[in-house]
Amino acid sequence: MTSLLRRFDFWTVVTGAILAVLVLLLLFPIVRVLMLSFVDADTLDWTLGNYVELFTRNYYLKGLKNTLFVGVLGTLGACLLGIPLAFFTARFHLWGRAWISTLAILVLVAPPFIGAYAWIMMLGSNGFITNFFEGVGIDIPTVYGAHGIILVFTLKFFPFVFLMTQTALMAVNKSFEDAAENLGCTPWQRFVKITLPLVFPAISTGAIICFVLSIADFGTPAILGRGFRTLSTIAFAAYRSELGGLPTMAVTVSMVMIVISMLALLAQRRILSKRRYASSLTNLPVKVKLTGWRNAAVHIFCHGVVLIAMSPTLVVVYTSFLKTKGPVFVGGFGLESYGRILRTAPEAITNSFVFATAAVVLITMFSALISYVIVRRETAASGTIDFLMMVPYLIPGVVMAIGFVTTFRSGFMSGTSAVWLLIMLYFIRRLPYGVRSTTSSLRQIKPSLEEAAINLGAPPLRAFLKVTIPLILPGLIVGSLMGFITAINELSGTLILYDSGTITMPVSIYLAVLDGEFGLAAALSTVLLLCTGLCVYLVFRFTENRDSAFL
Amino acid sequence: MASVEIAGLRKLYGDVVALSDINISIPSGSFFTLLGPSGCGKTTLLRTIAGFHNQNAGRISVDGHSIEGLPAHRRDVGMVFQDYAIFPHISVRENVAFGLKQRKISASEITKRVNDVLDVVQLGAFADRMPHELSGGQQQRVGLARAIVIRPKVLLMDEPLSNLDARLRVDLRAELRRIQRDLGITTVYVTHDQEEALAMSDTVCVMYEGVIQQAASPLDIYLRPVNKFVATFVGANNFLAINRSGSQLVLLSGGAKVLGSCVDATDIVCAIRPETILAKPGSVAPVGDEIAIPATLSNVSFVGREMEVIAVTDQGETLKSLARPDPEIIGLSQNSSVTLCVNRSDLAFFEAGDAGGCIG
Ligand SMILES: Nc1ncnc2c1ncn2[C@@H]1O[C@H](COP(=O)(O)OP(=O)(O)O)[C@@H](O)[C@H]1O
Ligand SMILES: [Mg+2]
Repeated sequence: MTSLLRRFDFWTVVTGAILAVLVLLLLFPIVRVLMLSFVDADTLDWTLGNYVELFTRNYYLKGLKNTLFVGVLGTLGACLLGIPLAFFTARFHLWGRAWISTLAILVLVAPPFIGAYAWIMMLGSNGFITNFFEGVGIDIPTVYGAHGIILVFTLKFFPFVFLMTQTALMAVNKSFEDAAENLGCTPWQRFVKITLPLVFPAISTGAIICFVLSIADFGTPAILGRGFRTLSTIAFAAYRSELGGLPTMAVTVSMVMIVISMLALLAQRRILSKRRYASSLTNLPVKVKLTGWRNAAVHIFCHGVVLIAMSPTLVVVYTSFLKTKGPVFVGGFGLESYGRILRTAPEAITNSFVFATAAVVLITMFSALISYVIVRRETAASGTIDFLMMVPYLIPGVVMAIGFVTTFRSGFMSGTSAVWLLIMLYFIRRLPYGVRSTTSSLRQIKPSLEEAAINLGAPPLRAFLKVTIPLILPGLIVGSLMGFITAINELSGTLILYDSGTITMPVSIYLAVLDGEFGLAAALSTVLLLCTGLCVYLVFRFTENRDSAFL
Repeated sequence: MASVEIAGLRKLYGDVVALSDINISIPSGSFFTLLGPSGCGKTTLLRTIAGFHNQNAGRISVDGHSIEGLPAHRRDVGMVFQDYAIFPHISVRENVAFGLKQRKISASEITKRVNDVLDVVQLGAFADRMPHELSGGQQQRVGLARAIVIRPKVLLMDEPLSNLDARLRVDLRAELRRIQRDLGITTVYVTHDQEEALAMSDTVCVMYEGVIQQAASPLDIYLRPVNKFVATFVGANNFLAINRSGSQLVLLSGGAKVLGSCVDATDIVCAIRPETILAKPGSVAPVGDEIAIPATLSNVSFVGREMEVIAVTDQGETLKSLARPDPEIIGLSQNSSVTLCVNRSDLAFFEAGDAGGCIG
């Protein structure tokens, strides 16, 4: 009897509740997607036909090839920008280093689809750069199609490679490099043979994140594709066209996306498992002061990269203050665009804030509990939860949303309203940000502090609230802010779940861009950027290592 | 104040046996010390008493009532942690008041008791500081104050002094003992420092590999170790091989006859404490009940209060002697011949092997 009672202590109950929520909101939809992909839409029989169709029809095969093409090249581009940038900022005295990493972080957290349409305004068929060159008689290629998508991915995702590599470079023991030099390596040989291999695990982690995000990205190919389809736009289109029936092709495409992400992650695990370099920081790397043209070149490269990456944001903000008449810019500055969002889309703003806030309240509560279970309870259940926290990273928003629809809009749960679906979608997709930040905070806290509280008579819940929570508060706040930023910027899943009453800012922007309402889109984007920027500022306030808080 | 009884306690981590068949009886108000090398299970035992681990078998009772089934927060045993575990986000006063607040004691009573206990640990002037403004020793006092202010039935301390520097350790040791005596609180104290254990305890309980080797008064532990492990771990010891010579058992080095012919000689060693050995220059015959072991001087170090003589016998066994400084010995050159003299009553005999039992 007593041992039975003991088994049902507070944290066991919490662990059970967490598992139940994760099973309901994460595993159910994914399993549902998986099962539907084996169902024939018309006869409802089990079939492999969907996969056969996917791997034989040119439409899908082309999409798969396109996805991998822009994913790989976008990742490559991100590495080509990120690695040199990391090396320069970590090893050379650079004027404005903090500025560079701040801009990189802003690029990282800016709404993902803003880049795409800002580039249209610069390099689209009527973009101002295109027009400028036309004016002087040069025809430059427009930004539509694969190369445009690759450009946007490169400029959008390089901060992952940059920040991860930079952190690793700062932690490489200088003695290794000194030894190589002492053994006769030139600086370049030393970089290629010693430094690069040592930071390779970090580079590969950054690259894999870029790749997974590129595969999942919906907004960029949707806005820039113009007939160039990737799996995420195909899944979305399939879902739209199958509306009413079973979205079997949409979920089959979704499964392929999940498998690609998982393979990428497995590859990454393999890379890391063979390369584990213990680093003892006895001999910290020193920064070299460059002179002459090298110095100038490095400065131009570093500042140039972050400025170009930042340019979409600047263009958006600038555009939002242009004088408009309906959808056309009429020259000069004005606040008409802001006036229009207040008239036509006030509910998008309130919805965005309400949904994101509600999701973040849940994220905060669950992050605190989940990280405690992961860090302090060494059970099979806590290991499972730890593993499940990785899953949302791998599931593209389109896929998760389709899973939600097929799970919660059918059978006895069919009445679930869009509001709840959206809040739950944001919650489950962004929960890992909160958990990760809180977990790393909690690992710094000695368990004896909680034990002391319990020993002094505090029941487990009170010990948690009075001792653990105050101590992990910075990590919890940072994690929640990250969750908020990413939740309020969510587009792809929302596009599938929203209805007339639940439109959000990203959806409004997306629709405005499709309608050519660039002024309206810019004003809404500026509002989004503003609150994203505010969150970033708050994260900076609450964290010691600002560069890695966002990874 | 309460007595503690532990019977047949067993604790496993997976397949690793951390505690096996622990039986302890601690009288009310006494100071009971668990002494043993790192990894022997001291912390595990303490944490099992505190309720942070569930035992696999056995029973723990306080004042005759089993505390099995009581969760850790209702056991009413105070604990002082090795790393202090002072809550960093609240002041000293709030740290000390933490347990009282859990017990729903009135605010005025809390203020009074916190002030009193802070005076006891001499931290009255630091009540409103934050933990990071205190030194290690002061933090440890806060830890003690926080544990005793709730007037627990039992006080548990896990190596509370091990993170402090040597001087402070000795000072705090005496203070801890004084406070414990004044309050008359039953205390289980964990340390791997034998000097600390001997100096503070009513009972020292020596543990090794999850098993209790001996629980006795400090003097008994030192003078009458029940097995070779205790003889080695508490105080220094020389161990000499024993040989059979005809029907007699003799020391390999020097050949002095020892013991009767009771046991198999290959399984016995003779233990001699360094401070019972007197080194004399040259070759000296044994006097009265003494035995004499001829040896050559290997090293003498004079450390002030005493001198440490290391000598090697003809058979190659190395012995250490600790004695009052003797200018004659200190003046000897290396490899001079010396005689090591010991009273027969100072010899002890153990079965060979890590934890061989005491013989005779
Ligand atoms: N949480 C744990 N899981 C597995 N083994 C443990 C754990 N805690 C302690 N042990 C093992 O139990 C034994 C006793 O440990 P401990 O009680 O901490 O020893 P001591 O405090 O005497 O140094 C050691 O072998 C240790 O490795
Ligand atoms: Mg210990």
